[in-house]
Amino acid sequence: MKKLKIILPFLILLVWQVLSFKKVLPSYKIPSPLEIIDALKTLIIVGLPSGYRLHGHALESLLRVGYGFVMATGLGVPLGIFMGWSKNFRQLITPLIEVVRPIPPLAWIPIAIIWLGIGIKSASFIIFLGAFFPILLNTVAGVLSVDPILIEASKTLGAKDKHILLKVLFPGAMPNIFTGLRIGMGIGWMTLVAAEFTGVKSGYGLGYLIMIARDVQRPDEIVAGMIVIGLIGYFLDGIFRLYEARVLKWR
Amino acid sequence: MELRMKILAFFFFLSLWHFVLPGETSAQKIRMGYLQSDLHQLAAFVALEKGLFKKHGVDVEVAGVFKAGPEEMSAFSGKSLDIGYVGAAPATVAVANKVADVKIIAQVNLEGSGIVVHKDSLINKVDHLIGKTIAVPGYAQVQDFLLRKILIKKNIPLEKVGIIIIKVPEMIPALQTKQIDGFIAWEPFIAKSITQQVGKVLIYSGEIWPKHPCCVFVADTNFIIMYPQKVKAILKAHIEATTFINKQENYPEIVNIGVKYTGMDDETVKLAMKNIYYEFMPSVEGELEYVSFLMQLGHIKIDHAKQFVDSIIEERFLLDLLKNE
Amino acid sequence: MKEPELEIVHLSKMFTSADGSSITALKDINLRVENGKFVSMIGPSGCGKTTLLRIIAGLEDSSEGKVLLDGEEINEPGHHVGLVFQEYALFPWRTVLENVEFGLEIKGISKKERRERALQYIITIGLEGFEDKYPKELSSGMKQRVGIARTLINKPKVLLMDEPFGSLDDQTRNNLQTHLLRIWAEAKKTILFVTHNIDEAIFLGQTIICLSPRPGTARKILKVDLNYPRDRTDLEFNRYRKELQDFFRTEMEWSVG
Repeated sequence: MKKLKIILPFLILLVWQVLSFKKVLPSYKIPSPLEIIDALKTLIIVGLPSGYRLHGHALESLLRVGYGFVMATGLGVPLGIFMGWSKNFRQLITPLIEVVRPIPPLAWIPIAIIWLGIGIKSASFIIFLGAFFPILLNTVAGVLSVDPILIEASKTLGAKDKHILLKVLFPGAMPNIFTGLRIGMGIGWMTLVAAEFTGVKSGYGLGYLIMIARDVQRPDEIVAGMIVIGLIGYFLDGIFRLYEARVLKWR
Repeated sequence: MELRMKILAFFFFLSLWHFVLPGETSAQKIRMGYLQSDLHQLAAFVALEKGLFKKHGVDVEVAGVFKAGPEEMSAFSGKSLDIGYVGAAPATVAVANKVADVKIIAQVNLEGSGIVVHKDSLINKVDHLIGKTIAVPGYAQVQDFLLRKILIKKNIPLEKVGIIIIKVPEMIPALQTKQIDGFIAWEPFIAKSITQQVGKVLIYSGEIWPKHPCCVFVADTNFIIMYPQKVKAILKAHIEATTFINKQENYPEIVNIGVKYTGMDDETVKLAMKNIYYEFMPSVEGELEYVSFLMQLGHIKIDHAKQFVDSIIEERFLLDLLKNE
Repeated sequence: MKEPELEIVHLSKMFTSADGSSITALKDINLRVENGKFVSMIGPSGCGKTTLLRIIAGLEDSSEGKVLLDGEEINEPGHHVGLVFQEYALFPWRTVLENVEFGLEIKGISKKERRERALQYIITIGLEGFEDKYPKELSSGMKQRVGIARTLINKPKVLLMDEPFGSLDDQTRNNLQTHLLRIWAEAKKTILFVTHNIDEAIFLGQTIICLSPRPGTARKILKVDLNYPRDRTDLEFNRYRKELQDFFRTEMEWSVG
């Protein structure tokens, strides 16, 4: 079974390449694996547009996602802990959250540009919106899932409110917080492509790259860009899981 | 359980089939595309508004209105359009990269673009663009070409100007909030920046490359092969529309049609039209220029430029019609 | 005579049940626990002993009456009244050491000092070498020992214990009982120990308070005049056992009848 897991992707690629070669799969609709690899090489060495190389695009995108994600975490986790802790506050603020949450980040783009201009601020804002809600809601769930008896135990050990928030609720909610972070990062990364359509002042970005590839009608470069986006997303997730396993080794 | 699985599988394959099937070319309605709020394509608006297609015996429906040329070419690629008004550069790129298979059957307009800067800006020469940020509608488009052409002409290294891509409707707000120092776009957005008191024109495209061809009328190659008579009829409508525009006495009506289809006001449309020439004869040299520009930038690879240009321009029908006039 | 450490005065607790009717969980409890005494509290399930402990600890309010510690009323939880839970309630994300030093951390004691003190207590409860283990790696008996150390390190005036050995097997339970008595002898703490196990109550307590259910009232107080360490097979021990068994049998008849 394990062998099949490794062989299967290669088999698919092989069949795909043969079908493309035989012109069964039209090249302009579905570039062949070899064409995609070629395009990837071009993107890495020459860049698109010329001089704007792949690593520059990737780095800039990571920067934007990182910026948006850090903001989402910085606001989402403390707010979530407080919401989980105080029923009154939670009931007060939940309607507002539930109305804003369904608005897709992309719908914010025109307003984001008016408020923040084109550039890393508006792109990061869109990503922030994508990442914020999973982080917030998972944090709240995490806090609510902390066994009340732990809170009582801490009280009998002398804990006051601020201690309970910091030393019981926050660590107790960690498993859920991590889930929220991982999901938030995933959504943030996905929102990236759309966010970079708002206009990218620096001329770098993976989403922007795909937009250009579409403009110059290079489906092979489009797919190559998509694959890079997918791979980076996969690695980001993996990094999160590793860190999560270390921090949550007490489970 | 068995039966349920079979039904599920049936619907699954049915939907799969639906997606995999190639788009159909309707034998009845002809599917046309054009660019949103692009005054260059006034002939299309006139033909639609005055029922000229129907008059010449063809049933044309608007199957897509696009924000930019490459998007429209993608629609051709997906076989969703039969004919379209689109920029020469995106059409050339799509054909050269074998992503779409269309022929240029007529010209649509000449000139009609320009570089706009903020009305309070100190930029009054192209040289002042060094170190500034200028927006273009997209790479490998007519406006992108024009900007680079003038920069090269003035010996300004391209890296010294920050060229970024913004959708045309978003350019004026971006200029107004000083996010960008200038933009190059098609009419009526240039006129609008003036009437909206946001910008002033640095240089019109006609000064960069006099009488340069801009938008072209293309048709899907298969469509041409299958329905040559319809192509002729469509061209008749296009010629009639273009001729109509160029007659002085029709000016008020033209302006109204321009206002209706671009959503801009009277003043803007009138100002914009001063910058556009409406012409239906395709230009081989113009197309050659585009081809060499695109090759220079590495967006396309053509072995024989002249051969390519000859194959993409399909003048037969047009010449036939004019002979019979 | 010394001031009683813990005094419970006319304590009552009423709940409103789902259908709106009032349930009296505890009725007019009056108790005095003297300094340094080990008091067992015993009663069948539903007699409100856990509720009583929680009120004393300040985790719940009484409906009537009050709890006095050293003459002062207790309204909220704090480290002066320690509570050891039946479910251990260890912080799973903290190691044994970090669990034990929790109270000191709250007080703001330096890392070095609280680590030293915590290690001492860890040695006292016989878990030397386990300080960096997480609760998931400990046996139930070990967990409860950590729970006890964690509370004792705060030097509470009174130690409340809510059926702490209830989920343990006989062997471990007996070990921990002996262990607890040793700690009590050294630390000279006032302990209020709740259990439903008659043997345990007699083995540990100098005084036994018997609670009967519905409503919870302190119906009988027994002084156990035996020397430590006590022998479960002893004749006197058996006499106390019979007395308590008889008492509870009648109580059961009372509540059933």
